[in-house]
Amino acid sequence: MAAWQRSSASNGAPVPVLSVRNLEVRYFTRAGTVQAVRDVSFDLHASESIALIGESGCGKTTLGLALLRLLPKGARIVDGEIRYRRRDGQVIDVLQLDEEEIRRFRWQECAMVFQGALNALNPVLRVWDQMLDTARAHAALSRDEVRERSERLLRMVQLEPERVLNAYPHELSGGMRQRVMIAMSLLLDPQIIIYDEPTTALDILTQRAIIEVLRALREQLDFSMLFISHDLPLAAELADRVATMYAGKIIEVGDVREIFYNPRHPYTLGLIKAVPPIVGELYDISSIPGTPPNLIEPPAGCSFHPRCPYARERCARETPPLYEVGSLHTSACHYWREVKLERQVVETGD
Amino acid sequence: MAQTVRPGQLELAPPGLGQRLATAVKVFFRLLAHSKAGFLGFLGVLFFVVLALAGPIIVPDAGRPDMTKIYQPPSLEHPLGTDYEGRDVLKQMLRGGRAIIVVAVLAATLSTLISITFGALAAYAGGWLDSIIMMLTDVVLTIPQFPLLVVLSAFVKLDRPWLLATLIALLSWPTLLRAVRAQVLSLKEREYVEAARALDLGTTRILFGEILPNMASYIVMSFTIGMTAAIYAQVALYFLGLAPLAGENWGIMLNLAWVRGAIFYKDSLMYILAPVLAISLLQLAMVTMSRSLEDVFNPRLRES
Amino acid sequence: MRQSTPIARAPMIPQLAARRFASVVFRSYALRRVLKAALTIYLVATLTFFIVRLMPGNPVDVYIHTLISQYGFTYDDAANQAAALFAFNPNEPLLVQYWAYLRALTRGDFGMSLVSPGTPVTSVIMTYLPWTLFSAGLGLLISFLLGIMLGMVMAYQREGVLDHILTAAGSFFQSIPNYLVAIVIVVFFGVQLGWLPITEMRGAYSPGMQPGLNLAFVKDALYHAALPILTYVLTTIGAWMLLMKSSTLSTLEEDYVTVARARGLRDGRIMRSYVGRNAVLPLFTQMAISAGFVVGGSVVIEKIFVYQGIGFILLDAINRRDYPVMQGIFLIITFAVVAANLLADLLYSRLDPRIRVSGGE
Repeated sequence: MAAWQRSSASNGAPVPVLSVRNLEVRYFTRAGTVQAVRDVSFDLHASESIALIGESGCGKTTLGLALLRLLPKGARIVDGEIRYRRRDGQVIDVLQLDEEEIRRFRWQECAMVFQGALNALNPVLRVWDQMLDTARAHAALSRDEVRERSERLLRMVQLEPERVLNAYPHELSGGMRQRVMIAMSLLLDPQIIIYDEPTTALDILTQRAIIEVLRALREQLDFSMLFISHDLPLAAELADRVATMYAGKIIEVGDVREIFYNPRHPYTLGLIKAVPPIVGELYDISSIPGTPPNLIEPPAGCSFHPRCPYARERCARETPPLYEVGSLHTSACHYWREVKLERQVVETGD
Repeated sequence: MAQTVRPGQLELAPPGLGQRLATAVKVFFRLLAHSKAGFLGFLGVLFFVVLALAGPIIVPDAGRPDMTKIYQPPSLEHPLGTDYEGRDVLKQMLRGGRAIIVVAVLAATLSTLISITFGALAAYAGGWLDSIIMMLTDVVLTIPQFPLLVVLSAFVKLDRPWLLATLIALLSWPTLLRAVRAQVLSLKEREYVEAARALDLGTTRILFGEILPNMASYIVMSFTIGMTAAIYAQVALYFLGLAPLAGENWGIMLNLAWVRGAIFYKDSLMYILAPVLAISLLQLAMVTMSRSLEDVFNPRLRES
Repeated sequence: MRQSTPIARAPMIPQLAARRFASVVFRSYALRRVLKAALTIYLVATLTFFIVRLMPGNPVDVYIHTLISQYGFTYDDAANQAAALFAFNPNEPLLVQYWAYLRALTRGDFGMSLVSPGTPVTSVIMTYLPWTLFSAGLGLLISFLLGIMLGMVMAYQREGVLDHILTAAGSFFQSIPNYLVAIVIVVFFGVQLGWLPITEMRGAYSPGMQPGLNLAFVKDALYHAALPILTYVLTTIGAWMLLMKSSTLSTLEEDYVTVARARGLRDGRIMRSYVGRNAVLPLFTQMAISAGFVVGGSVVIEKIFVYQGIGFILLDAINRRDYPVMQGIFLIITFAVVAANLLADLLYSRLDPRIRVSGGE
């Protein structure tokens, strides 16, 4: 057994609940090999919330699926480690688990709420049966406990338990279904929950309500969260830290305020500038020019250089490492010193 | 005056029948090229059609009964042996396809006409007309076709090809109609989109150049399914002796081989097996062809 | 010219009530299906009546004529005799006869057999129908269950050896007319190879057996029905397999299946309750075609295996021109198919909560 598998208690620094190292995911398609996730490393600590942001197609959903080993056929994790610290302190490598172990790992240790909530529930089973199914698959709770927990969680997500538990999915609205999924994600009290664009396909008011629900849950319950989104302001509301993903790589990680006031990667900067301020005049809205790169043959050097206003000859040649740019703030840009946010960020006010 | 043209009403100079037909044939072959099995099926169908046309010309006469040659084993002179009254089986096989295929083509034409006319009408008209047509279709679909045909044979002497074909057609249109209606509904959707585009471009010909060949291949498919149903019903009627055993065809051979005890002797086995094989292969070829056409039409089944 | 005054609206109220009633009826899936079934039976009954009464040389007139010319009956006596046999009175106007015929049908009165005087058609039906229901129903059930299981296996092991073999076999048997399969079974396995005692297997049960619900009799009945059932299964299973395969493949793509895996459900549970239950739903709409096909095919199949079911007796009645029996059997066959469909529809609505109220094809 490797040394890192031992408990952390002895050596001071807290061991993260999830620690991803050099993860590589590829899709093997007829058109070629798609490098969907490239050399991704990050740590998620207990009770922490990380927002993973980036344009669609940058590999963030693939990363989420890879963490649960739920990749579709044709996709494979070709390299890397996913270390998970169990409640008893033992650290395991998710990629080494056998089929039965990974099945038990899912939802009980790490749950995931998907985008496109409309179709996430089995249309022919009542919500209650699906709650029960989830609990039974892990033999975690008795029937009465499941009942009691489901009712409590449904109340926490602002739903009427009696009505919802007896309903079939088609009898619930999209927002209600997503709230059911959020309640269900908490049913087995996992340490980590991945929320993959939980508010897409919902109207603006429902989005708001879901975010409020998630925020309230974070205050009341203790779990770590990986929030996947293309919507920066949304991520900012829920995250402690933000990781920006581009072309399958994590290119900037930092504290949420750091990232917002002091982004050090041109791509993150572009994302922030692309957001219209909620209050105040619309000024200097620039969306990032160009299109996301082809992941079958990603650009050499820094993948962002074809779209980057700061790019120089070196960028096409040399792949930038993650530079230490501040306290707990890293950026994969050779010229991070030059990247500065010039506009005044308007406080959205809570 | 505002130029509002509803795409359903678009009138245009026809691109010429020959040209349209050429496009349709081209598309048809392109579709078949998608699958080897479909192409084999197509060749099989072609073989039987040629056989139906040429068989009675190659063999103008099935020969006279010869009581000295009853149930002879296959030999050079009689490759498939002889029947219960000493006639050559191979000759009967070569001649016996035409009647079956003629009735099948007649029946399929009629039922395709019915289903395309009323299927398209239902899809285009919508509303109560659609409801009535679909209600009627559901009802006819539920009536067990073959027993009704059997009962009708007690009242009507099924001695003319067109009569047999009409009765079969009158009972076998509902499945086709449903499919046609669904197809026209989806074409209609596409047509609207394309019409908008075509009007912008100022050409409406593209629209019809796209839709007509599409529909044409679809008609071929419906037609083939109609023929399979007609052959099934027809041969069964002959086999049961409910259609008059006059003339020569594979169904009558099946009946006589069964009734006259050909199944009990090794020597006469080909007398019953030959029509069984011929009918099976014909059906197999047609189903394979129509299925590969369907695969191409139904994208949900196509992916693989 | 506006009609929005309360007075103008008043007469609308009963109409509105009727419309509301209609909308309740049409919104309830089950009720709509029952109505459709009733309508089908009514239309078929009507069709049969007019075929029997209006066709040239219709059996009623022929029968009356025969009685008068051959047995010296008076017209009235002959007409009365005919009325008893055909369950309606030929002297009355057509519409009155039609009404009487419908009323007799609702009482389960199909008239009397022409060929065996004194035998009601109902008793002929009661004697032979159970055997067809038994063999065709069992064939349909086995074929459906086996077909959906194999179809799922094919979808899960897509492009595997089993998938290829079953696809080819399924398409093959689906194309070939069922009676040809039956003929081949008789010719090869029965006569030429002598593996099956087909003469002994004839009939619905062995002579001397006392019908009853005991093991020996059920075994005997299954023995006699085995070949018809085998034929039905062989010729319909291909369709179920292929349909289930494509339906399963598209269900596997659904989000809720991925979510179920994320929830850590066991594969068996996902396969049964998440994939299987959803994939099988679209197949119920095919039940109509399959039930009609099997029951219709039973006419030929029962003849080939000499299995004494309703199809066998229908042919017998046709050969003897026993019109009331023909008519009764045709009605009951239609009724059986309609009932099977209704059953499938209602089962479908039990399994799919989405259509219980709102409906939709």
